Amino acid sequence: MASLALSFGSGAMTNSIADVKESDVIMVIGSNADTSHPTIGLRIHQAKNNGAKLLVVDPRRTGFADEADLWLRLNPGSDVALLNGMVHVILEEGLWDKKFVDDRTENFEELEIVTAKYTPAFVEQITGISEEQLRAAARLYASPGKKCAIFYGMGLAHHATGTDNVKSIANLAMLCGKLGMAGGGVNPLRGQNNVQGACDMGALFNTLPGYSGLESSDAFDRYEKMWQVKLPRRKGKAATEVWDAILDGDIKGLYIMGEDPVLADPNAHHAVAAIEKLDFLIVQDIFLTDTAKMADIVFPAACYAEKDGSFTCTERRVQRVRKAVEPPGEAKADWEIFCELSSRMGYEMDYEHPEEIFNEVIQLLPQYAGISYERIEKVGLQWPVPNREHPGTPVLHIGKFTQGRGLFIPEDYTPPTELPDVEYPLILTTIRKTPQYNFGSMTRKTPEIETLCPEAFAEINPEDAARLGIADLDEIEISSRRGEVQLRAKITDRSQVGTIAIPYHFAEVPVNNLTLNSLDRLSRSPQYKICAIKVCKVEA
Amino acid sequence: MTTVTLTINGAEIVAEAGLTILEVARRADIAIPTFCFVADKPADTPCQMCVVEVEGQAELIRSCVGLAKDGMVVTTESPKVVAHRVERLSILAETHFGDCKAPCNLTCPGQINVQGYIAHVAKGQYEEALRLVMERNPLPFSVGRVCPRFCETRCRRILVDEPVSINHLKRFVADWCMSHEIDLEIPKDAPTGKRIAVIGGGPSGLTAAHFLTRKGHDVTIFESSPMLGGALRYGFLEYRIPRDVLNYEINTILRLGVSVKLSQKWGKHFTLQSLKDQGYAAIYIATGAGVDVPLEVPGAVNPHTYSAMKYLRRMAEGKRPDMGNKAAVLGGNNIAMEVARTLIRQGVAEVTVIYPRSRIEMPAHQRNIREAEKEGVQFLLMASPVEICDAGDQGSRLKLDLIRIKLGEPNAKGVRQPETIAGTNSVLHVDSIVSSLGQLAVADTFSGGPLEKSITLSANKTIDANVRSSQINIDGVFAGGDAVSGPRSVIQAVVSARRAADNIHAFVMGISKDEGESRFNFTRGKGFDDVDLKNFDGINVKLREKMPTRPPERCSQDFNEVKLGFSEQMARSEAERCLSCGCTAFDRCHLKELSIDYNVNLNKTGMGAKPIYAKDFSHPAIVVDKNKCIFCGRCERVCEYDALELAAESFDDKGRPLGLSLRFNDNCVSCGKCVDNCSTGALNKKAQIIPVHNELVKNVRSTCPYCGAGCQIILRVKGGTVIEVTADPAQAPNYGALCVKGRFAHEFIQHKDRLTKPLIRKNGMLVETSWDEALDYTARKLFDLKASYGPDSIAGFSCARATNEENFLMQKFMRTSIGTNNIDHCARL
Repeated sequence: MASLALSFGSGAMTNSIADVKESDVIMVIGSNADTSHPTIGLRIHQAKNNGAKLLVVDPRRTGFADEADLWLRLNPGSDVALLNGMVHVILEEGLWDKKFVDDRTENFEELEIVTAKYTPAFVEQITGISEEQLRAAARLYASPGKKCAIFYGMGLAHHATGTDNVKSIANLAMLCGKLGMAGGGVNPLRGQNNVQGACDMGALFNTLPGYSGLESSDAFDRYEKMWQVKLPRRKGKAATEVWDAILDGDIKGLYIMGEDPVLADPNAHHAVAAIEKLDFLIVQDIFLTDTAKMADIVFPAACYAEKDGSFTCTERRVQRVRKAVEPPGEAKADWEIFCELSSRMGYEMDYEHPEEIFNEVIQLLPQYAGISYERIEKVGLQWPVPNREHPGTPVLHIGKFTQGRGLFIPEDYTPPTELPDVEYPLILTTIRKTPQYNFGSMTRKTPEIETLCPEAFAEINPEDAARLGIADLDEIEISSRRGEVQLRAKITDRSQVGTIAIPYHFAEVPVNNLTLNSLDRLSRSPQYKICAIKVCKVEA
Repeated sequence: MTTVTLTINGAEIVAEAGLTILEVARRADIAIPTFCFVADKPADTPCQMCVVEVEGQAELIRSCVGLAKDGMVVTTESPKVVAHRVERLSILAETHFGDCKAPCNLTCPGQINVQGYIAHVAKGQYEEALRLVMERNPLPFSVGRVCPRFCETRCRRILVDEPVSINHLKRFVADWCMSHEIDLEIPKDAPTGKRIAVIGGGPSGLTAAHFLTRKGHDVTIFESSPMLGGALRYGFLEYRIPRDVLNYEINTILRLGVSVKLSQKWGKHFTLQSLKDQGYAAIYIATGAGVDVPLEVPGAVNPHTYSAMKYLRRMAEGKRPDMGNKAAVLGGNNIAMEVARTLIRQGVAEVTVIYPRSRIEMPAHQRNIREAEKEGVQFLLMASPVEICDAGDQGSRLKLDLIRIKLGEPNAKGVRQPETIAGTNSVLHVDSIVSSLGQLAVADTFSGGPLEKSITLSANKTIDANVRSSQINIDGVFAGGDAVSGPRSVIQAVVSARRAADNIHAFVMGISKDEGESRFNFTRGKGFDDVDLKNFDGINVKLREKMPTRPPERCSQDFNEVKLGFSEQMARSEAERCLSCGCTAFDRCHLKELSIDYNVNLNKTGMGAKPIYAKDFSHPAIVVDKNKCIFCGRCERVCEYDALELAAESFDDKGRPLGLSLRFNDNCVSCGKCVDNCSTGALNKKAQIIPVHNELVKNVRSTCPYCGAGCQIILRVKGGTVIEVTADPAQAPNYGALCVKGRFAHEFIQHKDRLTKPLIRKNGMLVETSWDEALDYTARKLFDLKASYGPDSIAGFSCARATNEENFLMQKFMRTSIGTNNIDHCARL
């Protein structure tokens, strides 16, 4: 999200889900939407069945890879090199949209310079993708005059170079002029129901609500006037930086709403050690999570079915959440808890209903200015909605980018932080399974879901399995420099040779004991998708 | 856009050219029935329900394929069309096999959704189970203890082993909610401003008060005794219905907002006229049948001979009349059994029930007779009292002269009347006698004023009320319960009162009564003999849970409750014995809906008699019952993954499929869309085991809580429980598509592991605390940290699954109350 904002002026999905039926070419990179966003995956498959060409870039043989017109099974973590290579070929073959680049972008020269060395031969060395495939992919995406959409997911973002990956995608799309039209665009798929909304609302260490940076004193003045309080203008700490700050003694108190870092954070041992050092931990959740068990105070929260409010989905559509049932026992909606706590701390928050909060939001966020509960009663609106008459914006950047001109930000390929070596010769990547969600605290309460997906398997390529003497369903131990887990093996060529994939939904297989807390330098996202591991069979 | 102008059912409609008649009609809000229609995917074997008549065309045409043309004159419900549809429906009905409603449900006089509440128990949703019972029966504590259990006699499980212990489950959920102090939060309509008087605070009066109050009326109960309860308090002693339970039950009803006037005797403290003068818009008479039929033998009037109601009332009031060592009970009805068991408990050594016929002919329920016998009650059958005399000093107080009885020749109605056998007199020495020869609503006529006197009575001294309207011969005055029917079970009084409440509501509001539910019902067999045993293939014998009961020799010594109630584990295990006969697609079945609309008569058409296909449970989330399939094929055609195959080996002479197969392919993602589109109950969600009859279901539109796709969902809520999740095919961005999580993974909402109270760490342990303590402590701690180390010593993680409003507030809290930008969320994780 951070890098798309630098390139385009907005970090959100540029287009709409329904758009995909208008695409001539669909490029899916680092996303297995069939498992992470099933209803979006469905639309992509349907578009493919209706004649769109499908270009898939993924180390894993996903369902999309099976159906793709062209599937690039690149080496894990080599996306920047591949994308730069595509740019190189497109420039070389003159397939780019010169008018779009001239009229609407800046810093093109820099792109030419940086990508010059990404010759097909050089790219093949890094990515393992042949010149023939690279050229075919470049030609397919660039297809002059065609509408080409890019979809990407956490397979691209969850790397130490995640933002470089995203910038490179933005470069490619701008170069080929595939933005600002239905059926085109750059479309990040948000992993959770309200990632977009949480960002929009400014639950971020580096921006105020509505993406006003902390350096914007105009915004501060506006907020201070509205809230009648002096606001801190120092930069905050990203969630992933907080653990070190705790261990260094800088942070003493932590307030966690709805998160379970003991399971979710990369190199989870690190998070546990930090939590143990805290003076005071507040956890607000619907279940007593592993993190909540370590808290000093646990506030019981209402779940989505027990409160009113709104979510903003991946296509920027602001939609209502409605209270259907009462919360159990004395549980309260999160917003009510904040109101009560804030008032006790001397800053009055006196909201009677979430709609009152929303009405404050629309006064502060220009993107939301024209939205109201009344307007989204039946169908949600896609921001920006600058005024009460505005019908919403299904496609961003039509005619011009949010920030005026699109900015090419070419990046060089950096290898993943941790690569296989003699001691840890394999790569671990974490994946999702369709029936489960995140760490299973919600999905695993439904028996049918457990029947469909009861267990985490380590997905291992037949070649690796043969070499390691592992048979299907063997119990194996997987260890990294940070920890180990035990689970059963499933032999499948969905995993690339040299890579083992493990779903992260299962608390009994805490795969984040293995992962690396190496962070992207801009977004501070962790590198969940690559770390070095070794495997051994557990003798019965 | 080119348009066409046509006439449908006499209305001129301008429509886009190129549309089908069906589509044009739908857009004009003219409903044309169809089973098989799926937009853009025509069926290979169409259902032919959507036919319409087009002027000038001899043949009916299918509106789903016939294009709307300029000048067309279309009729969608002409006699010819209707006849065709009835024929189509009849063909389907002939072989459709299943139960719409379960036999237990159909047999219950209260029409309680029995299968539904058992299913709630099986799921551990006790509160919801009780709420469902209370939809139709506000006296679950009492009925759960004293009901004759009509339902259990029809339970199909008898054909496997033993019926489900339905009534014990009802009692369990009631008791569970009482011991867990659950407030059911029964909803009430807005106040109507109408005042209604209820005379009598027994089962019938309490029930009417409950339902009328829910309708928003202002109800006052006038009760002649100092306490409410009527027959529940004075007809059943504590060992049947403990007083604390009864008081709790009554209070649950009163808490809705019912006014009560105690010790108000009708005819003395008020009259019908005085109530009318006070502005009551309607009066409901629920005085029960508390007057005993007098014992008419010589010597019946003496200080040691009581009528049943008088004796039980004294006992209930704690006044213990001296009944001596030996007592006789005259009569064989349920009240006689209560009297006998009460006498035993009072310490009477020998209690004999005397009845002129055989045991099997006693009107009391056999279960009551058995229990009385176990406790030591003796029975002297085929005998009748002739005279009662003072025994003088012969070791007892009274001498009861008896004569043997035989049954005479059958009369015109086939009834054999008792006849005395001359010369068979014998004498029984007793200290006291209680007679229970039947109960009346009134001894002679009601008194108090001219209106009371004018009340029409039936031959057996009950109030004559219209069966349909519950009205008596005085305008605005209604009656129900035992006062109309004579002594019946509690559930029957409840039903009578519930109907009366509906009638009174319609009367005072000047509206017509809700149309009753249709009796249309497919059944797998009306009687047990009609039910094919193949239905029970694969069901293993599992005997019913035994009610924990105090031994008779112990419980006959005191007035404590005899039956102790199921434990939670027993209740769950018993609920799992339910065969779930009724259709869980009851509220969405198009076949039933259209059959009712077109008056299909199942007695004429007949219906499937035995299962042809075994139910298929192999899918992880879906159950398939092909016996209910009408081959509309919607499941196959709505599947967006082409993952379902429906096929028939051949077709019979009427075009019905034979050798049906329905298969989920490997690419099935278990999204459940096929189930939501099934025309009948052939496809069902495994988790959706609660049939919805006419209970209120709220459809709450919301957004899926899982991934970022923002799918729009509909939460179907009954009471306080989300029972199912579906989607609207017309709604962006998902247009009816959901994944397996979106349609199924919502059980976490009501999961027992949910946090329900704030927790605080004390002595190293997390313990429950109050919100006040938790919030005060937190505010103080945060304040201290801020003061000692500065605001940046505190950080907050918001949540990408919380709402916009909550994320906004959390960052606002961190930035204002704490004063730091250390706020972030998990989106990058």
